[in-house]
Amino acid sequence: MTGAARGAVYDRGYRPYDGPRGGRAAATLALYKASVRRALGLRRSWRQKFLPLALLAVVSIPAAVNVGIGYATRNSPLEGFSFFTYREYVGVSSALLLFVAVCAPDVVCPDRRQRVLPVIFARPLTGTDYVLAKLGAIFSLVFAFALLPQVLLFVGQTLVSKDGSLRYVSDHADILWKVPVAVAALAAYYAALSLAIASLTARRVVAGASIFGLMIISSVVAGILRHADALGGRGPLVNILALPDLIFEGHIHDTSPLSGVPGAGALGLAAYTAVLALSVGVLLWRYRWAER
Amino acid sequence: MPRGLVGLVGANGAGKTTLFRLLLGLARATEGSIEVVGRPVVDDPVGTRARLGYMPEHDCLPLDQSAADVVATLGELSGLPARAARQRASEVLDLVGLDEARFRPVGGFSTGMRQRVKLAQALVADPELALLDEPTAGLDPTGREEMLALVGRLASFGISVLLATHLLDDVARVCDHVLMLDAGRLVLAGPTETLLHQTGKLIVEVNAGVGRLARALEERGLRVERDGPFGADGEAGAIDVAVGADPGPVLDTIRDVLADLGLPLQRLSTRAASLDEAFVASGDRGAGLWP
Repeated sequence: MTGAARGAVYDRGYRPYDGPRGGRAAATLALYKASVRRALGLRRSWRQKFLPLALLAVVSIPAAVNVGIGYATRNSPLEGFSFFTYREYVGVSSALLLFVAVCAPDVVCPDRRQRVLPVIFARPLTGTDYVLAKLGAIFSLVFAFALLPQVLLFVGQTLVSKDGSLRYVSDHADILWKVPVAVAALAAYYAALSLAIASLTARRVVAGASIFGLMIISSVVAGILRHADALGGRGPLVNILALPDLIFEGHIHDTSPLSGVPGAGALGLAAYTAVLALSVGVLLWRYRWAER
Repeated sequence: MPRGLVGLVGANGAGKTTLFRLLLGLARATEGSIEVVGRPVVDDPVGTRARLGYMPEHDCLPLDQSAADVVATLGELSGLPARAARQRASEVLDLVGLDEARFRPVGGFSTGMRQRVKLAQALVADPELALLDEPTAGLDPTGREEMLALVGRLASFGISVLLATHLLDDVARVCDHVLMLDAGRLVLAGPTETLLHQTGKLIVEVNAGVGRLARALEERGLRVERDGPFGADGEAGAIDVAVGADPGPVLDTIRDVLADLGLPLQRLSTRAASLDEAFVASGDRGAGLWP
């Protein structure tokens, strides 16, 4: 019953693999890359590619147009024209929300629904590695998509600045670290929250609807509380998905609904941290079964 | 367990899949320790998994990706570099006979093709041991033949196989060794050849006095069977005597009874039968045939 005799029947041989083998880090990186590809719709049909591309357009085109107009009219400024502020542009976070509401479920729900998890966890990686890879993938994409228009704005304004490009850069040097940090905070938050919700169900539609539902309910509740002037003006903190925006750049901005509310900055930061920690906790708990 | 092709037989719920989860380090044993491919699973589950291939019984493939993509990605997850993973994916898909369909989405595949992709993903990282859970499930007779032929060749590639199935025939066809599980307990283990010829029954044939022999053996607590009723005391004939894991005492008893009654012994041998009979007969046996 040895296979040698049978092997002769077939013309195709088998070559053992004696090349290099990576460990957990390699497996995690591979899962990260596969998840990024999946979220971007690469190696899948055009329908899967549509959303990420449309999103990229939605977040970039206004910035490009804004900068373009500013550049074209730099010698005879249009009345009423002004550049978007960096802060305003985090306002496209609703487009980013749409993105995570579709892509986060897409990178975790099918693994559960199509029962791919057993073959993934039969490989040299653990539940924590899985969570890291998925978080990393969604984080990277949200970060890239949210940062791109900011870069456009910065480069555009640098070119258009009347005082000269160098002067603009040195005057706005703080933007160079503040904006990436703020965008990273936003991306980490969106990635963790959306993946945590998506990890609770095997159905993409349910996960996407839950993410949207949470957004709508919490913003409506926050609005009601704000108008009722309840909680001493801290109502907007209930708006879970707007938290990163509220504490944008690490402080409460003049235009924020929380402006002037005592202790709002610290409360906002605490709420942000709590939601982030809870989300990561839920994720680790959902994939703990391979953590032994 | 020896290298090569080992069949893991048991009814549904006997603990085959649980055993696989234990071997993969995805479940923890309440007691005892497990060593797989020379590694202690509990201490190094990740390192152990790197050398194993696992084909689950259930569907486990992402349906909207192509077979080549699925197998290559899972190869990378096993630690292969991206380029090597794509190369290996293409080779194992060839091996399982999916050369042309590999660029189509798995969702459009038949059960037989999906089983092949599942086998391919288990083999893509060239494991030392492949754990195959019911690889012939849902296949038509031709597909089953091909799958078994494929599994049968794995040992010659240096891949040991643990083949879980409830189809004894599959095991009898391709496996060198058999393990039988029942309700989480190992009831039988040994080389397939031996088990095929071992049903736990001895045939005792005498030229006269078969009735007396049967009664005497029963009086000494042995289980005796015979096709049809016993005739007169002087009649010649054969009876089956059940033996436990250790046939020694039974053989001694038979010898003593034959000597006491002074009966002429014609034949004393084990009864050859199929694995199914071995399985049924194993119900009250506790030990294996390996030392």
